Amino acid sequence: MKQVVVHPERCVGCMQCMLACATAHSRSLTLLAAVQETPQPKPRIHVGAGRFNEGFPNRCRHCDPAPCQTACLAGAIYRRDSVDTVMINPDRCINCASCAMACPYGVIRFHEDPLGPSGHAIAVKCDNCSARVAKGQTPACVEICKAGALTYEEMDAAMRRKTRDVSRSMSTDADQPTIPAGVALLKSIKQSELQLSGS
Amino acid sequence: MKHVIIGNGIAGVCAAEAIRLLDVKADITLIGDETFPPYSRPMISHVLDGSQPHGKLPIRSEHFYDDQKITPLLGRRAGGIDVANRQVLLADDTRIDFDRLLIAAGADPRPLRAEGLYLKNIFYMRTQDHAKQQVAALDGARRAVVLGGGLVGFKAAYGLLKRGLAVTMLITSGYPLSMQVDETAGRMILDELVRHGLTVEVGVSVCAFEGNGSVQAAVTDAGTRLTCDMVIIGKGVLPACRFIPGAQIEVDLGVVVDEHLQTRAPGIYAAGDVAEMVDIARGCPWVNALWPEAACQGRVAGMNMAGRPVAYPGSLSRNIMRVFDLDVLTVGNANPNKDSGCRVLKAGGAAQQYYRRLVLKDDVLVGAVMINRIEQGGVLRSLIENRIPIRLPPERLMTPGFNFGQLLI
Repeated sequence: MKQVVVHPERCVGCMQCMLACATAHSRSLTLLAAVQETPQPKPRIHVGAGRFNEGFPNRCRHCDPAPCQTACLAGAIYRRDSVDTVMINPDRCINCASCAMACPYGVIRFHEDPLGPSGHAIAVKCDNCSARVAKGQTPACVEICKAGALTYEEMDAAMRRKTRDVSRSMSTDADQPTIPAGVALLKSIKQSELQLSGS
Repeated sequence: MKHVIIGNGIAGVCAAEAIRLLDVKADITLIGDETFPPYSRPMISHVLDGSQPHGKLPIRSEHFYDDQKITPLLGRRAGGIDVANRQVLLADDTRIDFDRLLIAAGADPRPLRAEGLYLKNIFYMRTQDHAKQQVAALDGARRAVVLGGGLVGFKAAYGLLKRGLAVTMLITSGYPLSMQVDETAGRMILDELVRHGLTVEVGVSVCAFEGNGSVQAAVTDAGTRLTCDMVIIGKGVLPACRFIPGAQIEVDLGVVVDEHLQTRAPGIYAAGDVAEMVDIARGCPWVNALWPEAACQGRVAGMNMAGRPVAYPGSLSRNIMRVFDLDVLTVGNANPNKDSGCRVLKAGGAAQQYYRRLVLKDDVLVGAVMINRIEQGGVLRSLIENRIPIRLPPERLMTPGFNFGQLLI
């Protein structure tokens, strides 16, 4: 089964995935209309700043077994085996934030959601774009990512490709680096800026 | 293999599920005091505050026992364990054979010693039945007294305030939630409740209740008389281990277990509110009577009972609550002893409506308190639970932009 694979070393921090994610989880499904919706749709992928201000796309890992599922007081979090996805039932969620305390990655947010019950906040997190995938589309964050930081592939294939990339970059006649030159440059600029500023 | 589980709380239920997952043929008997389908105990406070209906409490189907092929013995309490003959004794002298036994008997509310406890509308807060009775008593109630400033007392007070009652909370320690948070956080929570109409009396306890059939007043040891038409007692819980033979199974405050959740008696395990094991943050034996903890322990105990050895690293206290506009998260040891050699870092405070407190032992995080913006609390909990040395300046963990990416090299 294909899944979203994150390559943080490639992320340039453009946050396009956040916009695409919020749009994909809006009622209108278009960016222009989504920004005018109430409640406003919010992203379920979160690009944070890493230690050198580099981008870090953080999304649900759909753990198995999922700590959030075990900790859910209301029995609202469940695993949909057919798509290997941890889901939150918005109608059962009681917004107790027990899952926030359980999630080791900090990817769950609490707010009113266009796809949830109106008038009150619930726990919201990545659902692997199951609605899009059911229609044969790829997850929105992957589709929009220009830097190759988010890919949609079989995990085995991704692992093999990564191993191959690393071994190729280690060999003496390496013809291409693992990270595109532009991304590597941007990262080193950010890193040196931070070092120069002394923080 | 005959598995017997004492207790149908979340630890017992998760253990039964784990056994069934690993062994389809296992014979599982579950002895439960409560006859209601498996439900979410922490949610009873949401039923009291009116945000959730009583009908939403069950978290397993009503056919749970049939689906999992479990023989339920509900409405019965275990009265003893015959370790030598490997039998559980019920109160009516029935004996049930076992090969593997799980003690997941949970905990009972710490009883209050006071006169007039027989009066109507004086409640403990532990079971769905208590919540049902409390909600029924709300009709026409105007003034309530809550005893205890711990988690239960707090949630009871919050629920009653939300229902529009005038609530007086009596606490014996200097500030509420003194077991969970430090004084700064405790005061912020208290101020929030007081702002919403709570009256708090510190350093007093109740010695008697007065009334004519139903409670009408609580009399304190200071001699004051508080009129009320409802009382909720939240003085914490005690592990239900009176029926356990201490000669064969070591009982301290709770039933002492090893890293496989096995008691001193081979083949007999304990999990949940009744079990005592090492506390990861404190480094000493502790009873952490918490629901998510019980769920994990139940599952691990079940796996061990079914023959798959799984170690449990120890328990960890953790709590999260939403009190009006405050979100409060606490993990591990927030109040270390002065001589423990721990370093405490703080940021924010009441004025900012944002507070952070980190407790570090050397370079390992052992405790954290967060007020508001609690989304990254799970990352801190994971750092504490896995005892991961912190390599970035710990102050960074308290900044609003902290995220998982900063822990990577």
